[in-house]
Amino acid sequence: MTGKKKATKQNNHEDPSEKFPSPTASDSDSDSDYQDSSTDDDDSSFSPDSQSESEPENGSPENDVSGDSEAGASKDEVHDEDGGNESSDLHQGGAESDSSEDEVAPRNTVGDVPLKWYDDEPHIGYDIKGKKIKKKEKQDKLDSFLANVDDSKSWRKVYDEYNDEVVELTKDEIKLIGRLIKNRAPHADFDPYPDYVDWFKWEDAKHPLSNAPEPKRRFIPSKWEDKRVVQLVRAIRKGLIPFNKPKEEDGPYLLWGDDSGSTEKANHLAYIPAPKRRLPGNDESYNPPLEYIPTQEEINSYQLMYEEDRPKFIPKRFTSMRSIPAYENAMKDCFERCLDLYLCPRVRKKRLNIDPESLKPKLPSRKELKPYPITCYIEYKGHEDAVTSISIEASGQWMASGSSDGTVRIWEVETGRCLRQWEVGEAVSCIAWNPLPDIHILAVSVGQDVLLLNTCLGDEEEQKRIKDLLWVDPSTASDDSGNKAPSVSWLKDDKHEGLRLRHFKTVTTVEWHRKGDYFSTVMPADILFECYKYMIHGPYRKQTVKLVVDYIFVSCFVIGLNGTRGIKCYTRTGFSLTSSLRESRAVLIHQLSKKLTQKLPFKLHGLAVRSTFHPSRSIFFVCTKKSVRVYDLLKTKVIKKLDTGLREASSIAVHPGGDNLIVGSKEGKMCWFDMDLSSKPYKILKCHPKDINNVVFHRSYPLFASCSDDCTAYVFHGMVYSDLNQNPLIVPLEILRGHTSSNGRGILDCKFHPRQPWLFTAGADKLIKLYCH
Amino acid sequence: MDMAEDGGEGSARRLQVRFVTKLNEPFKVPSTAIAIPADLNRFGLSSLVNALLQSNDDDYKPEPFDFLIDGEFVRMPLEQFLLAKGISAERILEIEYTRVVAPRKEEDPCLHDDWVSAVDGSSSRFFLTGCYDGLGRVWKDAGLCTHILEGHSDAVTSVSVINSTGMETVTVATASKDRTLRLWKLNTEEPIKHPIRIRAYKILRGHKSAVQSVAAQTSGEMVCSGSWDCTINLWQTSDFNAEDDLVSKKRKVGGQVEDSQIEGEAFSTLVGHTQCVSSVAWPQRETIYSASWDHSTRKWDVETGKSLTDIFCGKVLNCLDVGGEGSALIAAGGSDPILRVWDPRKPTTSAPVFQFASHTSWVSACKWHDKSRFHLLSASYDGSVMLWDLRTAWPLSVIKSHSDKVLSADWWKSDSVISGGADSKLCISSEIPVQ
Repeated sequence: MTGKKKATKQNNHEDPSEKFPSPTASDSDSDSDYQDSSTDDDDSSFSPDSQSESEPENGSPENDVSGDSEAGASKDEVHDEDGGNESSDLHQGGAESDSSEDEVAPRNTVGDVPLKWYDDEPHIGYDIKGKKIKKKEKQDKLDSFLANVDDSKSWRKVYDEYNDEVVELTKDEIKLIGRLIKNRAPHADFDPYPDYVDWFKWEDAKHPLSNAPEPKRRFIPSKWEDKRVVQLVRAIRKGLIPFNKPKEEDGPYLLWGDDSGSTEKANHLAYIPAPKRRLPGNDESYNPPLEYIPTQEEINSYQLMYEEDRPKFIPKRFTSMRSIPAYENAMKDCFERCLDLYLCPRVRKKRLNIDPESLKPKLPSRKELKPYPITCYIEYKGHEDAVTSISIEASGQWMASGSSDGTVRIWEVETGRCLRQWEVGEAVSCIAWNPLPDIHILAVSVGQDVLLLNTCLGDEEEQKRIKDLLWVDPSTASDDSGNKAPSVSWLKDDKHEGLRLRHFKTVTTVEWHRKGDYFSTVMPADILFECYKYMIHGPYRKQTVKLVVDYIFVSCFVIGLNGTRGIKCYTRTGFSLTSSLRESRAVLIHQLSKKLTQKLPFKLHGLAVRSTFHPSRSIFFVCTKKSVRVYDLLKTKVIKKLDTGLREASSIAVHPGGDNLIVGSKEGKMCWFDMDLSSKPYKILKCHPKDINNVVFHRSYPLFASCSDDCTAYVFHGMVYSDLNQNPLIVPLEILRGHTSSNGRGILDCKFHPRQPWLFTAGADKLIKLYCH
Repeated sequence: MDMAEDGGEGSARRLQVRFVTKLNEPFKVPSTAIAIPADLNRFGLSSLVNALLQSNDDDYKPEPFDFLIDGEFVRMPLEQFLLAKGISAERILEIEYTRVVAPRKEEDPCLHDDWVSAVDGSSSRFFLTGCYDGLGRVWKDAGLCTHILEGHSDAVTSVSVINSTGMETVTVATASKDRTLRLWKLNTEEPIKHPIRIRAYKILRGHKSAVQSVAAQTSGEMVCSGSWDCTINLWQTSDFNAEDDLVSKKRKVGGQVEDSQIEGEAFSTLVGHTQCVSSVAWPQRETIYSASWDHSTRKWDVETGKSLTDIFCGKVLNCLDVGGEGSALIAAGGSDPILRVWDPRKPTTSAPVFQFASHTSWVSACKWHDKSRFHLLSASYDGSVMLWDLRTAWPLSVIKSHSDKVLSADWWKSDSVISGGADSKLCISSEIPVQ
């Protein structure tokens, strides 16, 4: 409506004859029409219009006259008020013809936009050629008032904001306005109540358009509108439709705020907000504190740095904002930032936010697991070389130790006093005290022999029994050795008043059965050990290195270099190797009371390292380098094979319950086997950086320990529950330090006190230490 | 604040004190109240008392003192002590002073051939030592050995004087790792130039394992012994009582050439400990106390042979002594550096009433002073002997005369400490003023 009104208003002073153009035509259309028509012919364009509009033609001549005159006046004013550049144009137009000048289209072309946009501008808009239309100079109020007072026509004048001009209304227009105000039809000629002409009457018609009677719904109010109205009314009452809604305006917003939370973007699944740039800090201030400003030396040192390492921004100080120069890298920075945002793909990484503490298994605290060995209180000094093995007497009063210096000593546990000492001549590799409290016999493995020593403890009756046990008939001994396989010969050892069991190979470990009658010896060495020995001591160091790797090479070597001293030994041991692989002579079981030796009736796969007896049943464990085999001695069959997964096992210990065992390895790992559970390790503990030399269980306390060449011994809590559903509980308790390394070896043996939670450790530093709770 | 004030105004803050003592004449100061600076410590107090004493008596020699306020030793500046204990400084403070319990003199050590494993100084005329060479020795004084007790085939682990009362002939008992105890009679009064070797008059056999400890009944009629075979045996000391003894005497006569040695068998055996009985004490006629490696101390009734009470402490116990207030407190030390004191009269608790933890290794011996109810000593494998007073948690004095483990220690003549160690020495620290 406003547009139409404006059009009429504009047209008013242009051409009164065209006061009522076709109402359907839009403004622009009419504009172009006018221009076209003005160039062609006024009357031609006018005439059809006048024909179509029959009624209002009467008043038009009057209007024309007055309109013309009015238009001319207004035009003059326009001319006066126009700027310099446009005046020439307009003058030109004015010179041509009145009508053409009248048809200069509405000059301002900004269209239907809020005029306040141009409030602060010097122009009000643009003409059709795109030139700015300057604002007229505003009269001051006094002048305009005076002018109005003087001007009798001032009441007719209306300010047209759009074109920035004052329009003087004609009489007709005022009449029209007056009629509009009175709510009448704009034109005086218009009859609002003409007689009804029933163009379609069908009462008498031959072919009425419709014969249907008027429907009822034409006469009654609409039910649906009613419903809709009720709905709206209710909504208004409930306040669902608010009135007087405050207009939302664009307020200030956070320039550095985090827009990652903006809802519309976050709804988008793949949307990843751009990373924010770092906020400027104190150093980027135009006047940073002095400590931020690098000294000249520092600036010079920047030059020596690589381009990447150089600081991107060097703080500078300006006394005032005025003196800050333009930032020379602004464009570069922007560009790089855009490149970063555009080229670097942003990927949403799902970070698992897990508290590392929660991953730790829930273990009871160490305080609850007391007692366990903590502090070293007593040292047993006396050995002159590394102590290789220790053993504690069943009652816990005495401790025996064997050393590389070729001595065996017995110590009083309580005071650290050395009670006895035997010179056995060769380095002791293993020592074991008979587990029975009344048989004070020590089994000591020395080189190829196993010595059974009488410690002379105990009262007379016990001594008598011990002497009986350690007596061997020389004739039977010789018989034994006369057998086809000279496995072991039982000899009397006069020097030490004991027995000497001569093996055919180097014995490394001795282990007693719980009843104190049987004991087992392991000769793991076979050919490898011999090779190793000769590699160390013999003259063929270089050639033999390879031999250790492969048996086949050994045999080749034997053939190739037969005849020399070292090689003879090879041939001998080489044969014994092949035989031992079949008959498994690496592990022997001896019976003290009958002075008998028997081989294991099983085939051993791999090199035996250790052997041990089951603490309560007739089960025998043999630990080879890679696996542990469990034999039933009564049924003489293999019960189980435990796969350690270790490179080289070094020690084995069986839990006093008998169902769990630990295996220590030369790579510092310890495997806990639950034999009811699986043949795979239940747990692998990796704690030592170097070889584990021994692992041991406590007999009564739920403790186990390992000792290693890294000069530490670890004490663990190893609780085995009688409930089969509950897994054993393993808790590391304490690292025992104190030994020093010697020749790359640390703690060589560790044993628990049989009744107290104490740990004895034997070190390569010639010391034995007792750690107490 | 207080300290700052003190520093600023010097001795502005003063305390009204009165020195009292139980000491005898040369150490008595006038009992008038005097004002002393509040920041004095033990040394300051000691020099103050010495000055007071010197003002009275010109011949007086300065002496270190220890000070007690309300039955506790002052071990910090006076003011701090009062603050810590919440004692008001307004009224006149009574400070009791005693002579410092510390040895004034180191006697010459008595050299042995081997580790000195046992000492007994319960007789004031002599003291007794046991040694790892299997010999017991009787010493009249430092370096003066009168008797050598010969006969054990293994190390002597414990010695005990059976009747130290005024008789000329005294009986002593020794226990050894050779599973026997031997009883000896000796005359200490006769003047002797060279040590005489004597043999036991009675050999007590019956233990199955090394005997660890021996203690005599107060009357001297019986001895008890603890052993590695987990039992405590009671033995009669008289040399002619039972028939079986005579039998053994007959048997022995054939073997032994010289003196007739009778053999004795256990009068009774107390069974209950599960591990080595490391120490026994027999302070009253009817009760025996024992400490064991099974972490317990037990009180036995001699008549019934039943265990009355047992206190568990969680550590192996090596030594035990009964004494102190009412001769009822049990002091014991073991496989950790803490000397513990229990009061068995306190029901329902096995927590020690005192714990002294200044040693750095196992405690090997502990003994109550025979007259004072506050003082006790402890010996440790760290090579030191410490004197303790129940009224303070710090040792009164540390005697470091040994260069190796101290295996045994005892009081002697109420003012000396004798200790034997793994350096084969017996050290005597004397002139200890214990009241």
